[in-house]
Amino acid sequence: MKEFAYFPGCSLEKMASSYHLSAMETTKKLGVKLNELDDWNCCGATTYFYIDELLAYTLCARNLAIAEKTGLDVVAPCSACYKNMFFTVAHLKKDEDLAEHVNFALEEDNLHFSGNVNVKHLIEVFAQDIGPDELKSKITKPLEGIRIAPYYGCQIVRPQKEKEDVEQPQFFEEIISAIGATPVNYPLKMRCCGGSLIISSRTAALTMVRNLLQSAVDNQATVIATACPMCQVNLEVYQQQVNLEFGTNFSVPVMYFTQLVGLALGLSHKKLGIGKEFVAMAPSLLAIGQE
Amino acid sequence: MDKKDEKEKIGVYVCHCGTNIAGVVDVSEVSTWTAENLKDQGVVISRDYKFMCSSLGQELIEKDIKELGLTRVVVAACSPHLHEKTFRNACSRAGVNPYLFEMTNIREQDAWVTTDKAEATKKAKSLIGAAVGRVAYQQPLESLLVPIDSNVLVVGGGIAGIQASLEIANSGQHVYLVEREPSIGGHMAQFDKTFPTLDCSACILTPKMFDAGNHKNITMLTWSEVEKVEGYIGNFTVTIRKRARDVEESLCTGCGICWEKCPKKVVDNVFEAGMGNRKAVYTPFPQAVPNYPVIDRENCTYYLKGTCKACEKFCPTGAIKFNQEDEILTVKVGNIILATGFDLFDSRKITQYGYGRLANVFTSLEFERMSNSAGPTAGRIVQRDGKTVPKVVGIVHCVGSRDKNYHEYCSAVCCMQSLKFAHLVKEKTGAEVYEFYIDMRTPAKTYEEFYHRLLEEGTHFVRGKVAEISDATRLPGEEGKLIIQVEDTLTGNQLRVPVDMAILSAGLESRHDAKEVAQKFGISCSADDWFIERHPKLDPVATMTDGVFVAGACQGPKDIPNSVAQGAAAAARVLSIIGQGEIEIEAATAIVDEVTCVGCKQCVASCPYQAIQYLEDKGKAYVQEALCKGCGTCVGTCLPKSITLKHFTDEQIVAEMIGAMRVMKSFELMEVA
Amino acid sequence: MTDTITFGQEISNLLHAAEGEPLKTCIQCGTCSGTCPVAGYMDNSPRQIIALINLGKKEQVLESNTFWYCASCYHCTVRCPQEINITELMYALKRYSIWKNHYQEGLIGPTFSEAFVKMILRGGRSFEPILAPSYIFSFNTREFLQEIQGATELLLKGRLPMLPARIKRLENFRRMIGRIIPMGGLE
Repeated sequence: MKEFAYFPGCSLEKMASSYHLSAMETTKKLGVKLNELDDWNCCGATTYFYIDELLAYTLCARNLAIAEKTGLDVVAPCSACYKNMFFTVAHLKKDEDLAEHVNFALEEDNLHFSGNVNVKHLIEVFAQDIGPDELKSKITKPLEGIRIAPYYGCQIVRPQKEKEDVEQPQFFEEIISAIGATPVNYPLKMRCCGGSLIISSRTAALTMVRNLLQSAVDNQATVIATACPMCQVNLEVYQQQVNLEFGTNFSVPVMYFTQLVGLALGLSHKKLGIGKEFVAMAPSLLAIGQE
Repeated sequence: MDKKDEKEKIGVYVCHCGTNIAGVVDVSEVSTWTAENLKDQGVVISRDYKFMCSSLGQELIEKDIKELGLTRVVVAACSPHLHEKTFRNACSRAGVNPYLFEMTNIREQDAWVTTDKAEATKKAKSLIGAAVGRVAYQQPLESLLVPIDSNVLVVGGGIAGIQASLEIANSGQHVYLVEREPSIGGHMAQFDKTFPTLDCSACILTPKMFDAGNHKNITMLTWSEVEKVEGYIGNFTVTIRKRARDVEESLCTGCGICWEKCPKKVVDNVFEAGMGNRKAVYTPFPQAVPNYPVIDRENCTYYLKGTCKACEKFCPTGAIKFNQEDEILTVKVGNIILATGFDLFDSRKITQYGYGRLANVFTSLEFERMSNSAGPTAGRIVQRDGKTVPKVVGIVHCVGSRDKNYHEYCSAVCCMQSLKFAHLVKEKTGAEVYEFYIDMRTPAKTYEEFYHRLLEEGTHFVRGKVAEISDATRLPGEEGKLIIQVEDTLTGNQLRVPVDMAILSAGLESRHDAKEVAQKFGISCSADDWFIERHPKLDPVATMTDGVFVAGACQGPKDIPNSVAQGAAAAARVLSIIGQGEIEIEAATAIVDEVTCVGCKQCVASCPYQAIQYLEDKGKAYVQEALCKGCGTCVGTCLPKSITLKHFTDEQIVAEMIGAMRVMKSFELMEVA
Repeated sequence: MTDTITFGQEISNLLHAAEGEPLKTCIQCGTCSGTCPVAGYMDNSPRQIIALINLGKKEQVLESNTFWYCASCYHCTVRCPQEINITELMYALKRYSIWKNHYQEGLIGPTFSEAFVKMILRGGRSFEPILAPSYIFSFNTREFLQEIQGATELLLKGRLPMLPARIKRLENFRRMIGRIIPMGGLE
């Protein structure tokens, strides 16, 4: 039984609660245990790095120190949380000075971080720890004929960690194939959704979202699969805004990959948090897993 | 340690080197100090002079040798790398064996590493003390004279190798020209037109190929590879594998019926860069030299299944001979020239450019083959479908070059090559041409004028490195096109340029087996795997291994004129060595005392130049003087201390140390028991 | 040894993971700006910002909206042929401009960021509704109304928190932050 320290991140409480629900249900079904970190705090998103680097690292280090106590590796479902914590580990391991400062602060919460934690993104657990073959073997309702556009977004693969392929990775497509669906050749799969620009530079972000939606439509995608709550919100919740701004009429469902995996595993809509969408699911998907 | 019984007569000369040394070291004081304090070590005269390396400086030495009967000479000046030979020759001229001279470096190792004058002067005295101590124990040595075999091996039959071979052959000497492919010609044979003259590449190359192939002094060995190299300058023994062509050369007329009748088509990844096919029995191109075909055993139906044999059936002279054996030749040569050329950077590595994924992205070599009238499209510029003529073409500079993610260096030829492509595309199709560059590098003769010509022809130049080539069209008018995304840095605008075809000017890389080849021939590779020259400015065709030279792109990216020049330069160096008939080898080599050698072979394994042989019959090690570089590794390795390094004996080294310590003790810089 | 520090050096000092002055190695090739998905909205492209920094044009840089438009997608960084971490540069410029309280007028980014940081200090967790005042009043009427409508819909679908979440050991957390920045410095 694979076990991980689970860092949900702030948005998974309410905004992306369906991601949280589907993540817990699917991992349970696939034999992976996610233990939520005790008393975790916000990772700082991108915003903390706008103010003070040391502070931002400290925020992440607190979570990592809590995880280190459990002896487990950390899994984060949100790309920003993942990126922040991964690089916090990397920088603290390399820079003793920084580690000293941070640990000095952590003392106030009786914590200490020694660097013995690995950080993974939730999708890596599916792509590597579980793997497409095992995933395929557990599927009871393959999503045949469903065209899924794999939307990687930015911070899962970038910045580059080792020498992995940052331009044309295939692990998301492999998961989609494993659940019986058709991965769509989605040329903008690595392009940014705008992130927090949806607040600070709305028009710029809406243009980026529009391009992503258009590309999905052009490639006849039934649904866009995401692995980050920010991406999902930008692409789905603001779809109406995109239509108003540009005079388009997009109606593209955007779901979390865990929800899609869950459907293929035969889990119910309720368990997967389906029902809170702004854009209705495609009829073909709706048909699967109806109670 | 035995003390020298007879006192030698040592002359010490301290150089000012203008203000280089004198500005920091008090040279006249040092000279006076030497005369007084090192008298008991044998110094009979000590002088200081502005420029010891000048003829007047050298005359000082020669005069003192003659008049004062000096038996040893010490010069305290710059690095021996620069002037050891100069002063050794001066001693020689005056009748003192050149190995009774010692040079000590009070410039690079003293005046140039500190600004503290007092310290520098003290150090100079210690250094001279060391040199004086040593020189008393030096022995006269004679340089070895090695005869030079006049045969030459040229490895690689591209333009550099061909040029080198012709130069040597025309002078009357004999050349073995070894080429891996079935024909000589190299990459130049693949090109369409060459810049800046727009000469047809094959037209200027084939006459040279023909000359080389038919020259009475050139033994051309194609479809062959060098397997082993032993020996040293003037005396190399080279083993060459002449691979089986399965064609009897004496019977073959090159008529071409065999490949006409051959039913097996193979994608030609070498000459046609994957754009076209050849047969299983083939010559790489129509003007191949030699024009005997070769059977590709990996794809021939006979070898795979045991059937067919159409070529044998139809050959009018019965020249097809299946199951020929490789021939192993062993030849003796005096000098070797490596002209093994380059490989093209694999553009698939830059995934955002879409090569290999997007159909209409081409590499430079693919385009050359397309544009070549004898190529797979008979010279028409068309898309991958083989029919559509592009209306807009984008040419991308710096693909895999000037990029820390791939190769940091600039590949030298791509700017000119891209301009050439722009011209060819315009001429043949009338298409709109865009060129995306970071800098325009057109340094040589008439290259800048070529750039002007392209400007006049209406090529659209965009200064910006292409960020991405994709098929993610979204704006009207982009359907079916490739989008080149780039910032026009001169106007600060981000552009989406829709094109029908993109050509990537991929960089040049070293051959994939460059490291193995270098090791085989006893030379080194740089960090980017180019062969290393002896000196990047003053000796670009020689290597650190005497008798082995490099020419052309294998030494670094370069264009055809430079490759030709280097080929001729390497040939000239080789001819000058052959002309001397014999060559002097540095005498500071290692020597094994056969009496005490136990035959453990540790030295054989440790020698970085493979200069030590193990003599089976005697059970002893033997140093091949001509290969020995005097590094001393074997001396350190030898447990019974049987190996001595001439001119660096233990005695001499210890004397040097004591000489230094004696001086330092007098300055109370150290305690000596 | 110079006594005064150049603007370029100041910025390089803020680039945590880099050594020396990496901006000096920029060859102005334009890959970053060609790649940037938001470059069309910036008054200076990322490449131009680097050129301005190298020229020491502090005013122009701080008055620019470039780094406030950076979405932190890191696409420029993975493609830069000189391996300059351009995204980190954008972060550093944000920090610098907030520290010096010098940025272009009318930008939502700076005030939003400060509000976000204060929100985390308050409870250790994010609570979106409290951020609204920091940006919603910069919107025009149409956008304002759309935002209200969107928020209502999120609330109805149960995707918007009504009450702020707090971590348990909040006091420790606040003291922990206090060891990095004196609390007064952030209020």
